Amino acid sequence: MGRRKDETGGAAVTQGRKHGRQSPSPPHGHRRAQGELEALILSALREAPAPVTAGWVQEHLGMEFAYTTVMTILTRLHTKGVVSRERDGRAFAWRATSDEAGLAALRMRRVLDSESDRGAVLARFVTGLSSDDELLLRGLLRETAEGSAEGPEE
Amino acid sequence: MGVFVFLPLVLPVTAWPIVRLAEQHLHPRGAARLLTVVGGLLAVCSTLCLVLLMVVGTAQLPGNPLPDGWSDPEVRAAVPHEKYVGEVSIGALLAVLVAWSLAVAGHFRVRRRAHRSLAGLPDAELAVLPDAAPYAYALPGDSGRRGRVVVSTAMLDHLDADERRVLIAHEQAHLAARHHRFLLLTRLAARANPLLSPLRNAVTYSAERWADEEAAREVGSRRTVARAVAKAALVTRRAHASAPPAFAEPGPVPRRVAALLAPEPPARSWPPTGTAAGLAAWVAAAGTAASALSALIAAAALTAILIAATPL
Repeated sequence: MGRRKDETGGAAVTQGRKHGRQSPSPPHGHRRAQGELEALILSALREAPAPVTAGWVQEHLGMEFAYTTVMTILTRLHTKGVVSRERDGRAFAWRATSDEAGLAALRMRRVLDSESDRGAVLARFVTGLSSDDELLLRGLLRETAEGSAEGPEE
Repeated sequence: MGVFVFLPLVLPVTAWPIVRLAEQHLHPRGAARLLTVVGGLLAVCSTLCLVLLMVVGTAQLPGNPLPDGWSDPEVRAAVPHEKYVGEVSIGALLAVLVAWSLAVAGHFRVRRRAHRSLAGLPDAELAVLPDAAPYAYALPGDSGRRGRVVVSTAMLDHLDADERRVLIAHEQAHLAARHHRFLLLTRLAARANPLLSPLRNAVTYSAERWADEEAAREVGSRRTVARAVAKAALVTRRAHASAPPAFAEPGPVPRRVAALLAPEPPARSWPPTGTAAGLAAWVAAAGTAASALSALIAAAALTAILIAATPL
């Protein structure tokens, strides 16, 4: 208990310890979108030389976010499977297991899966096929293959 | 005036033949533009008609805030069964407004969410996402963020270098020509009047064909575009077990591929007047123009009656 008290408010970056827990939420007014925050914290983890604590992440981001915010986002990233954590004394040490693109892919999948409107907004390269379409398409594909084998295109 | 005032509500039916003809005979660029304009006009007329019917039909109801002159017997005579029609139009108009708000909100929500998903990636037009599901689409720009082409690695893995160029050129064409506006406009039109749904589907298809043609120009080979579209559709099909139900006629993808294997449509193609297609095109064009015109006239006539009856 005493140790934690000593470290509370300590500005030094100390790996493997949790600190700054009691620090109040910074009074900045702007709200970042969830997605940006996740990406920010993930990239902080990726810059870390080794598994680090939430406190380290908080420091690394210039104390811009409350400890609880960082913890919440880390837990969310963990649920998504893009970070792993291991017990390190009293705290968790977090490590990125995926890059920003992997995180973006997960989030995009969720958008695509949850939005019934997506087809109306995102002009997709191809749409679904019926089984008749599939047969027809295979025939056409053979036709393109034969055509290009026979001679130069166009 | 009689049943004449209801014309704008049902006249969108006359646009159906021109949908087919435009798809078959116009360059997809022209077809998408023409059908969007026609759809927009007919939707505006139809909605205006609903508003006017509602105004006339409810003007005599006690406690309404409309000018007293609008409940004159001469005004009410313009609409058959005005009381009943007025009440129905209130419901219809509300339904249209709700459908519009939902569509617009949904449109911007998808765009916003998709852009947020990409936060943290380099700010390049092409975003490649490591995903086992094959997909590719154009994400229009949103509140200061650029439009992006989003492609999954699974999609890229199934295509060779030329086909990848096709894919990206196709999506870039969507962004450059702002096809999302066409899609949103015709979607709203179809919500205003369900009879305009065929127009919406035709515009969606024409936008894809348009982007295909642009990609073919970029890559220099229609056959490569055809192959890319077919391969992409087949891998997407495998990944998604649930495909839309089979229709009597081929779905959009085989039609796109077939169109690409056919010669390029001329930029300004209106079928020659002498041919059957030409004749049909002219008849359909005349019919659509006449219907749009009578819709406008009906709307204008009702407006004029109301203005005349408005106490100054």
